[in-house]
Amino acid sequence: MSDEVLLSVKGLKKNFGNLAVLKGVDLDVHKGEKIVIIGASGCGKSTFLRCINCLEDPSDGAIMFEGENLADMSVDINIHRQKIGMVFQQFNLFNNYTILDNIMLVPLTVAKKNIKNRKLLSEKKIEIEEKAHSLLKRIGLDDKALCYPSVLSGGQKQRVAIVRALAMEPKVMLFDEPTSALDPEMVGEVLNLMKDLATSGMTMLIVTHEMSFARQVADRVVFMDDGKIAEEGSPENIFDNPVNAHLQSFLKKVL
Amino acid sequence: MWNVFSNQLIAKGGYKLILTGLVSTLEIAIAGLLIGFVFGAILAFIKVAPKYKRGIRILSRIADVYIALFRGTPIVVQLLIGYFVIAPLLGGLVNGIAVSIAVFGLNSGAYMSEMIRGGILSVDPGQLEAGRALGLTFTQAMLKIVLPQSVKNILPSLGNEFISLIKETSVVSFIAVVDLTKAYKTMADATYEYIVPYLMLALTYLILVMIVTFIMNDIERRFKKNER
Repeated sequence: MSDEVLLSVKGLKKNFGNLAVLKGVDLDVHKGEKIVIIGASGCGKSTFLRCINCLEDPSDGAIMFEGENLADMSVDINIHRQKIGMVFQQFNLFNNYTILDNIMLVPLTVAKKNIKNRKLLSEKKIEIEEKAHSLLKRIGLDDKALCYPSVLSGGQKQRVAIVRALAMEPKVMLFDEPTSALDPEMVGEVLNLMKDLATSGMTMLIVTHEMSFARQVADRVVFMDDGKIAEEGSPENIFDNPVNAHLQSFLKKVL
Repeated sequence: MWNVFSNQLIAKGGYKLILTGLVSTLEIAIAGLLIGFVFGAILAFIKVAPKYKRGIRILSRIADVYIALFRGTPIVVQLLIGYFVIAPLLGGLVNGIAVSIAVFGLNSGAYMSEMIRGGILSVDPGQLEAGRALGLTFTQAMLKIVLPQSVKNILPSLGNEFISLIKETSVVSFIAVVDLTKAYKTMADATYEYIVPYLMLALTYLILVMIVTFIMNDIERRFKKNER
């Protein structure tokens, strides 16, 4: 983890109609940092994550990433999203593509748009396919490359979803409860891949209910309550010496 | 009865008229279906697109007006206006068949937009979200991920629409197009013998519709097999 700030959220607010879900969130994410976000359901932690890549348009505040404010509607969000990987609770693999094509679809689309030279493009295509295979080998699913997502188990789907995001070579990865929809016996394989990723130095923002994972992996744990960050600190501080009363009662329920 | 009809059909060359009619009916129905699908897809696309851009909001209004106009007036009236009001303005360059194709295409586009919109909405929103999160534009994510998945949900109603089109084209004689109905009617009028021609007419439509049903079922089955 370095001192360089990769992503800086300032005064982020989000309203759905009259309902204020985020009431001003500030967070600096350093390069290589692993931040785990915890909190009771409905506290706004998923909404916060979804605002970072503008899947939900922020109502107010700024999200500074690579010198631009993503909350500004005039910014081309699609370019920035390519650098911000996201993993969903429901995996969301593309049902109409094979596993391999799931990984290659967006890198190929981007390459076709950016590279006009035919020879360079065909070289790039080969490179993308090789990379997709090596990512699949990394998670031990290369033999399933030509299958459709429907034949995979939940844990396999989520691992494919993670390497699909990695294929874009993102600078930061957002995980929105990546293990919540999994059968208990499949949680481990997904968490192991995420630990791998953490060790490799990836910057990660993780919303999860897996507290022992948070303790192991997180550089910083953020507790959200009622649309705001109520307490943040090292895993030891948050889990062993919680100050906030809501955090104390939340930890009693989940630990 | 039968002799009068077969004499008119074969010896007097009535089969040529009926073939001409069959070709016109199929031409209008198939071209109408294709135009309708393209228009319907564009309209549906506009209706489901995010509304924060002003251009999209304006297009969405235009789409509403278009759908209201074509769903709110009878197809015969649309044919009459197309042939007697709009075609003369174009300097008589278009004949009855061209007007029929345009009217049936635009009319069915209005209906198909709602079918396609329903098909798009039936696809899990997470699919679009995942595409957008990876950096695809709305249009790219729609074309590559959502629309292909919506096709198998749209197919049954698309088959229905094609069947309606084939049958509804029986009114094009209002603007002097010789379709199946007009062809058989001409034969019936020539002999004052109505029973056989009109029963044959019904049978011809029935066979056409059965063929279309068979083809659509086959296409649907293939789609189910390829994807889960």
